[in-house]
Order: sequence, then structure tokens, then C-alpha cells
Amino acid sequence: MDLSWLTICADGQTEGCIPSIQIAYLVAIAIGAVLLAVVGRRSRDLTTAVLTMMTVAIAINIAVGSIAIALRLPIYLDSIGTVLVGALAGPWAGALTGILSNLIWSILPIPGGAGPIAAFFAPVAGVIGLMAGFWASRGVFQLRSDDVRVGGFLSIALGIVGAAAAFLIIQATVGIPDLAVEDPDALLANQTSFVLIAIACVVAGVVVGWLAGRTVFAFTGPDPKIRSYLIGATSISAFALVFALLRLLFSPDGYFSGVSGVKEDGTPDTFLGGIDLTGLAISDPAGLIGVAIVALIVGAAVYLWARHGENARLFPVWVGGLTTGLVAAAISAPIAAGVFGGVTGGGTDALVALFRTLGLNVFQSAFAQGLTSDPLDKTISYTVVFFILGALPITVRTMYSRGETTVAE
Amino acid sequence: MTTASLLEIDDLAVGYPGRSAAALDGVTLHVRAGEQVGVTGRTGAGKSTLALSAAGFLPRVVRAKLGGRVTIDGIDAATAAPAALLGIVGIVFATPANQLSASKLTVREELAFGLENLGVARADMDEQIDATLVRLGIAHLGEREPFALSGGEQQRVAIASIVAMGTRILVLDEPTAQLDPAGTIAVAELLAELSRGGSAVLCVEHDPNVLGRMDRCLVLDAARTVALDRPGTALAAAESAVELRAPTLVRLALAAGLDPAGAFDEPALAAALLARRAPTTAATASVDPDPPASPSWAPVRDRDPVHVAIEDLVHRYPTGIDAVRGISLTIEPGESVAILGENGSGKTTLVKHLNGLLRPAAGRVLLDGDPTDRRSVADLAGSVGFVFQNPDEQLFERSVEREVGFGPRNLGFPASTVAASVAGGLAAVGLTDQRATNPYDLDLSRRKLVALAGILAMDPAVLVLDEPTTGQDADGIAMVGAVVEAYRAAGRSVVAITHDMEFAARFGRIVIMRSGVVVADGPPREVFSPAHRELLASTGLTPPPAARIAALAGLEEVPLDVPDLLAALDRR
Amino acid sequence: MSATTGYFVAGSSWLHRRNPITKLLGLAFILLAAFLLPPIVLIVLAGAIVLAIWSAGLLRSAARAMRIPALLLLSILVVNAFFFPGATDKLASLGPLSITVEGLTFGLISAGRIVVAFLASIAFLFTTLADDMLEALNARGASYRISFVILSAVQMVPRMQERAGSILEAQQARGLSLEGSFGRRLRALIPLIGPVILGSLVDVRERTFALEARGFGARPGRTAYRVVADPPIDRWLRILTIGACVAVVVIALTGIVR
Repeated sequence: MDLSWLTICADGQTEGCIPSIQIAYLVAIAIGAVLLAVVGRRSRDLTTAVLTMMTVAIAINIAVGSIAIALRLPIYLDSIGTVLVGALAGPWAGALTGILSNLIWSILPIPGGAGPIAAFFAPVAGVIGLMAGFWASRGVFQLRSDDVRVGGFLSIALGIVGAAAAFLIIQATVGIPDLAVEDPDALLANQTSFVLIAIACVVAGVVVGWLAGRTVFAFTGPDPKIRSYLIGATSISAFALVFALLRLLFSPDGYFSGVSGVKEDGTPDTFLGGIDLTGLAISDPAGLIGVAIVALIVGAAVYLWARHGENARLFPVWVGGLTTGLVAAAISAPIAAGVFGGVTGGGTDALVALFRTLGLNVFQSAFAQGLTSDPLDKTISYTVVFFILGALPITVRTMYSRGETTVAE
Repeated sequence: MTTASLLEIDDLAVGYPGRSAAALDGVTLHVRAGEQVGVTGRTGAGKSTLALSAAGFLPRVVRAKLGGRVTIDGIDAATAAPAALLGIVGIVFATPANQLSASKLTVREELAFGLENLGVARADMDEQIDATLVRLGIAHLGEREPFALSGGEQQRVAIASIVAMGTRILVLDEPTAQLDPAGTIAVAELLAELSRGGSAVLCVEHDPNVLGRMDRCLVLDAARTVALDRPGTALAAAESAVELRAPTLVRLALAAGLDPAGAFDEPALAAALLARRAPTTAATASVDPDPPASPSWAPVRDRDPVHVAIEDLVHRYPTGIDAVRGISLTIEPGESVAILGENGSGKTTLVKHLNGLLRPAAGRVLLDGDPTDRRSVADLAGSVGFVFQNPDEQLFERSVEREVGFGPRNLGFPASTVAASVAGGLAAVGLTDQRATNPYDLDLSRRKLVALAGILAMDPAVLVLDEPTTGQDADGIAMVGAVVEAYRAAGRSVVAITHDMEFAARFGRIVIMRSGVVVADGPPREVFSPAHRELLASTGLTPPPAARIAALAGLEEVPLDVPDLLAALDRR
Repeated sequence: MSATTGYFVAGSSWLHRRNPITKLLGLAFILLAAFLLPPIVLIVLAGAIVLAIWSAGLLRSAARAMRIPALLLLSILVVNAFFFPGATDKLASLGPLSITVEGLTFGLISAGRIVVAFLASIAFLFTTLADDMLEALNARGASYRISFVILSAVQMVPRMQERAGSILEAQQARGLSLEGSFGRRLRALIPLIGPVILGSLVDVRERTFALEARGFGARPGRTAYRVVADPPIDRWLRILTIGACVAVVVIALTGIVR
């Protein structure tokens, strides 16, 4: 019996192999089925109070989501209910809420919505609910600014900063490989190094975070340092994010340096009408200093704000939202790429087009687009849920087993 | 022959976790088959807790510490398995839309919902559903969509859904709080029909029209029983014991020296009053206590009163039907106007033109001569304050204080004025001690007062109230009445939509609407007089109790309260 | 199209009369075929679906419904045609931008898959009431409690939208202005969305009690009032469709047809 066809196709191979994309589809379907089965099983333990809450949460998802569509916002705002249920009733209830919301999006004729196609993104919604429940049980919505557990979040944040810093360092030294070359061999080599660099950044982030968690942020008891660290962390993250974003755009070989109106072989480039924006790629050291100053100003403003009252306790909430958004982006990308060819018809397609011209392929551009809107959307959703939990009357909170432990005082 | 008690509450004590005061402290009540028992008392007296206990919800569904015993058709509620009480006892709450399963497309299927959960065989379902629909008089609603029904119809469907399960013990917690008079009467008659059929009914209520029809009435105050007797007797006893203001008919009977037990039988009461020989003595005249003193509201800023003129107003729905058909009306500063009419008469539509929420298809609204059409709703909010019926459409802040301050802040008041307005508004509704509480932690009647305070704090020249007394107990109604009086005394105008006839009788002017036009406009004594009796009937309204009794006694005058009526009887 | 019945169009065509499970399996088959088989299959599938829709008398409704994915389809075509990386074969130039063959092909295939998926789904939704589909699933062992959540959430959405409208009025009556700077409008969102969410959450308590009072979930062995038709022919159709699904997977994996 000849089983040679069970191999996965190499590039260009057409005989006797399975295209990787078919495998990806089947794996995705299998995961979806398993997830549905597990969640369905778990639903037997859900109390009537949780089911009623889920109904309302799903309706909230759809109602607020349609408002966001009507206002043509670049964020979805369709997961507030999912996060809420995850926080009050646990990860599986949250996952179910997300999946059911998605299914209902697909059967209701909502103007501007994607129609039945939305159902393809059900796994993403499920994962959002799972993560919300996970973070809530870690106390994101409840941490006081002198709580010991804050250390964990600080470590994670530092890890993310570490990964971003690694990316910047590599960009400044080795350089990010060009993904717009046309030679297939060079393209493959460049894509490989791109992936390696990405892995290196992630590893760097994990190492930094883990080290920090073991040393600087290892708190044993209530410690006034915790609150000051928290305030500092918030402002430093703001600084780092702004700095990284600006460097990405304005550095000598950053984004704008590639928008030159001409391609490498001298023929006119068609992107954005052939405009030459290389002037915006400010050369160092002036560019570096300028970006640093702007970022410092933003960081200082955030520092002042975080010192007010309990504002700083939003930091763990944002860490939770950010990580959820990143995971959501990572999962939506293959779906968007595989099902829609990387485009979802919302206000984000310009972004996809942008990333395509940078040489990112279908999957990469979908991921990059998700990286810009999903984390923002989820961070906002987590923040909204934080305030809702604070405003919930006690008669409602006590109906849920996690109602009293998950919610801030 | 005594029939067995279906519901036995013995020395019940209930405490909620986290609260020091007991919710109930030693309450005993037995309800027999075929009996209707009403439960009433001030807000916070423990009525809802009693209802939940009677339905077997404590401690299984709501965590609470129990003392004493609740026995439902022989089953001990404290140890019963969840499924054991199904089909035996059922409970209906105040908000009609919340009672629907919201998962069924027709009323028939809605009734089937309970049967499905009971595991009744499909073949048997239709028969039970048909029988219930006919018995409760809602067979004509069978194929309608539940959410498309009116509030009164939805409540009847909610009751039917419980009855269809074969339940013989029915507990209701303020079922008519959000219904209009027609809906209230329909529910009251439904309960009477059910008890005639052998059910035991326990109904928490404020509305004397419903309480008066019960066989017995339990009055609670501060977690304890104050009185348990026939409605008139119990309410009279409660008034003297805990100063809970009794309904007009009861106070009338007491003041005239008659037995309050018969107070709710209006023809008999009228006859007894006529037959009475002794004139009102000073002692009996003082049986009418003043409303509880509530801090009256005083304006924080100086502002000129505003004259409101409505000219030939026409409002057209998108469907082409005219909700308001050419109404002209003026409201002078210092006037208080109550607008009455059935659901669908156009009263809310008319009033929404005053602050620009609706715009006329023809005609105009003038404030001090300026037409409102150019001004936005937010802009008009500075002159016309509109208190909506449902406070939950407005509340979103973490504390009562911030909530009440929302309006003043939007209007751009300076910080010191905001603080003063908030303090004044809270004082006027008696909620100063709740300023730090989350509004949603208060019960509905107090949330309504928060909403009222929020508009008072905005210091509008014209105050518009949409059903301010629904769901309020006697103290709350008195508070609202005091606010209306204070507003009027300050030289400003008040417009209120209400279906509470007694509350309306306190206003200086009554406007009655029917099908989009004004059919009566004048002082209460004129509008409620016997000459207008047919007109009133055609609008689905009845005069306030004192006027009704006067009409039954054949009097010419139109008394609006008890002293008036007694004086009129004496003069005869 | 009503808010509670979604896309459903009342009728008695052969599609309407099929059991919901049969239709669900058919939908699954079409989706599998569209995504796993070579693109040429898309044309056959699309033709078959349009034929089925026409025979059920729903062609006009389907044409009107195509408005929904119109923007999505356009985006797929445009973005892929103009911006496909690594493409060299230029087809035409429109000013500074040019269409590539590789991009256009990929875009057409993706768009084609979406069209097929959408048409099949819409044919299903036009002819199936959610209530019937869920009841059919319940009969086969799906959790009726989840079905309940779906149905009640669907009915609650229009309620919530109405409520949002009333809240908008109520807050405007307290002086909330919707004009002004973007920052102002953004801050106005809180007093608008706050009561929508909090008000609904407060209702959860009473709704839970009402459901408990009707015995929801209290006993096992729930029966169903709604009777979903299952004509005898549907059994054969289901067996056939499952076989077809398996065939599609096998063909895709073994690459028999390329």
C-alpha cells in the first residue's frame, strides 16, 4: 500500500501530497468540534442564574457591537458581555457566551454586520471568554494597588516591554529582513529569519519577565513599594509603547523609509500614489531624540494620572486585555486568511493593504492587522467590564459564586 | 367546616447574610384553599421576603438564614428538593416583561414552557393549555407574540403560565405596580376567579383597589406583623399602630365612626353614611392625619417662571396615525396640571413635546413666547425638567450623589451650585442619608425618587412627571405630593401624567384626553362631578374614592378628600 | 425579516418542509466542498444553490440579501487584486496601481468561497426558524438550556435596542448633549451605554426567579411542545449527505482530483 501521499506538499509540489492548507482547515474544524463538545458538556453545571446572565450578556454584545458598527469605529466592542460572564461565572461560561454570541450574529440580519459569515470566528470569541475567566480568577478586576499579586502582572508587562526592546535592538543592529523581495529563494530565507527574529523576541520577553518575577517583583507581603511600582509601570509602559510605535514609523529604516515612490529596481512604486515619504524617516540622532522626547512627555502625563486615587489599578486590567487581544489576533489571523483571504470588510482593510505592500503575505498581514485593532478593542472592553463590575448592585453579584471574590471593593 | 391550609407560615424569621437587621421576625400566616390574602406595609417592611419565602425560594434560591417554618401543601420548604415544589406553588413579580421566558414565539408556547419543564407528555399539553387560556379569559391572545402584548396582558399571561402547571398556590409580588387601571382591575378579577376555583392566593400590594377585594390582609412593619384581619380592619389597625396611612375609604369609615371592615363595599358604605345620624365630632374629624412631614423643596437659584403655550399641536406617527390631533393648551406659572387618560390617549406623546423629545407635525409649542422648534432637547432641559417613568433608563453613576448631580453638571452649573442643588434635591425626597449608596442597591420606589431628585436639582421652570406614583407606598406618594406643592408655591409650573385619581385630585387643574384630543379641562371638582360621569366612563377612568362615595350617596358636591366628604354629608 | 425571526421568510417550499437537521447537514457539506475541493467546484455549487433558491421562490429575497456581504466581497477582490505580494503577471494598470493575475485569481477564489458559503447559509436561514432548528437539535441530545439561551438572547436584542432609544431620550432630557467635539461625544457614551448594561443586569435577578418558578432546569426529562416535522425522505437525504461529506474529505486528503 502506497502511503507516500500522506506527506505535506512542499513548495511547488503537486503530485502525491496533501496541501497544508487543507490540513489547517481540517484541524481547525476538529478543534472547533472538540471545543463545542467540551463547552456543551460543561454547560450542564451552569445554574439558571448564569444562563440568564448569559442571555443578557449576549444581548449586550450584539447591541453594543451594532452601535460600534453604526458609528464606524475601528474597534468591535462586541465582547463586553463575554468578558463580564467570564469574570462572574468562570472561563467555560465565558467561552460559551462568546461562541453563542457569534452564532447569533450570524443568524440575525444586522445592518453592516458580516451576516452568516461571522460564524467562522466563533472560536476566537470562545477563547476571549476563556481568557477573561482566567484573568478574573487571577484577580485582575479586583487587585488593590497594594496587593501582592500585582507582582505577577508587573512581570508580564516587563516581559512584553522586553520583547519590544529586543525587537528594537535587532532592528537597530542586524536589521529586519525585507519581505518584499521577489526572488522566491531570498523570500524564503527572509521569511525564515523573520520568524526566527520573532521567536527570539518572544523568548527574550519571557526570560525578562520570569527573571523580574523572581527578583524585583517578588513581593511577600503588603508593601508600599507595590503601589509605586504599579504607578511607575503604568507610566513606563505608556512611554515604551509610544516610543516603539514612533520608532517603527519614523526611524531611518522604519516604515516611512520604505515609502519612497520607487521600488528597488527603479520602477515607480504604486503604493499610496507613488508618494515619497522618505523625508519622514528622520535620521539619527535627531530622530531618536525627538521620538524619545515625545514618548517621555506621554509617559509623564500618564504618571501624573496614575497617581490619582486608584487609577493605577487599571494596569492589571490592561495587561489582561492586551494579552487577550493578542491571543485573539493570533487566532483570527488564520481564520481570516484561510476563509476571507485576509480581509474582513470592516474598517480595517486599509491596514491589511498596508501590510501587504510591506511584503507580508496573507496570513502575516491579517495577523498584523489584528495586532493593531484587537488588543485595543479588548483592552477597552476589559476596562468597561471593570467599571460595570464596580457598579453592579450587591443583589446581582451575590447570585454568582465568583461574584464576591472577583469584584473590586 | 374549615378547609385545610395550603400555605402555612409559622413564626418565620429571615436574615440575609451581611445585613444586621432581620428581614422578617416571627410572622405567622395560614392561607387556605380558595382564600385570597393581601400583604402590605411600608417599603422595606419585609413583604418581598415573605413572598419569596412563601414560594419556597428561601434558602434554596436566595441565600438566607431561616427560623420558623414554611409548609407548602404539606411540604417543608426548607428541606424540599428543588423539583418538589413545582406545580404546587408559583410566584409572579412586578415587571411584566421579566416574567416571560423570552424564548417562545406565541402565548400558547409560553404556557407550554412550564409544562415542558415538568416533563408533561406532549399529547396532554394542548388540553391543559386550552383549559387555562379559557379559564383566565385570554384565549384571544393565544397566537400573539408575548412581547407585543400590553403590560396588563403580559401579567395575565405570566399568571396563566403558572396556573397551567397545575399550581394551586399563587404568590404575587406587586403584580399591578406597573399597570394602568384597566390592567389592574383585570389582574384583580383574575385572582378572584382563581380563588373561587380553589387556589390559595397570597398577593403583596399597595393598591387599595386590589387589597380591598382580598379576604384578609396582613400588614407588616419593620419585619413584624402589625395586623392580620379583613382588609378594612387590618388597615385601620395599622394606621393607629404604626401610622401607616390607610386608604381613603378606610379613613372615611373610621372618621364617620363606622366599622372599617365594610369600607370597601362602596354602595354599602354610602348607604351607611347616609343612615348615620351623629354629626362629625371634633374627635372623629382628626382621624385624618396629615401626610408625613417631608422637607419641602426650595429653589436654589433665582429664575423667572415660564409660561407654556401649546398651539394646535398635531403629532403624526410614521404610520400616518395622528396621536395628538390639534390640541391647544396654556399653562401659567404656578399652575399644577394633571393629565389623565387611558393608554393610547396621547397624553405621553403630548407631554414629550414640551422638552423637544418629539416634534410636532403641525402647530407649535411656545415657552414664554419663544417656539421650541429651534432648540435641542439638551438645551430645553434647562427650562423643562422631565422625570421619566422608568428610573432605570437614567441611572448609571456609582452613587446617588453623583447621579443627582449629573443633570446640573450637564447644564453647566458652577460647582457650588451643583452641590447645593444636589443637597436640596436629596432633601426633598428624603434620601440625604443614602447619598453614598449605589442607586441600583436601592429598591425601585426609592430609585424613582432618586430620578426625581435628579431633575429637581436641575431647577427647571416647568416640572413634568410621567407616572410619578406607580410602585410607591403611601409615604412615597405623599413625598411626591409635597414636592409638587412646594414647586407650585415657588411660582413654577408642574405637569403630571398619572392614573392615580387621588393623586390627581390634589392638582389645581385636570386635563382629560381621549384619542388625541382634550375632552375635559378644569378644576378637579368640576371634572369629577356627577355631570361628567358618562364622559369619565367613556375615557376608562373613575373618580377618586371620596367623589365616588358622594355620587353614590346622591350628593351634589364633589368632595376630594375625607373631611370634605364628611362636611358635605353633614350639610345635607 | 423581523427581529425575533431573523432572516426567516414564511413559505411552504420543498426547502421549508425539510427537517432542520437535514438542512444543517446540507450546509455542512457545501461548506466542506467549498473550502476543501478545487476552486472549479465553486461554480457547480453556486449554480446548484441558486437553482435551489429559485425553486423555493426565494430568488428575490436572496438577491436583496446579497447586499450584506457586498462590501466584504469587494474588499476581498480589490485588496487581493492590487496588493498581492510577489505577483509579477500584470493584467492591467489603472493609474498608479495595477492588477495582477495571481492576485485576481486568489481574490476570485476567496470571494467565490464566501459567495457560496453565504448563499447556502442564507438559503438555510430563509427556510428555517431558529426555534425549529434548536428543537430538532434538542431532540438529538443537544442541551435545551443552551437552546434556551440562544432563543431568549435573540428576543432580547430588539428589546435592548428599544431600551437604548428610551435611554437616549431620558439622558438628553437631563441635558446630555450629543453635539460637540469627538471627546465630548465619546464621554457621552457612558451615560448612554451604562444604563443599557446595568439596567439589563439588574433585571437578571427577577428573570432568574421567574424561570425558577416555571421549573426551568429543575427536572430531567424535559418534553417539547413544538413538533418539528421529519418527512420520511429526510432520513435518506441525511444519509446521502453524510456520505457526501465523507467523500469530500477523502478526496481532499488524497488529492485524487486536483
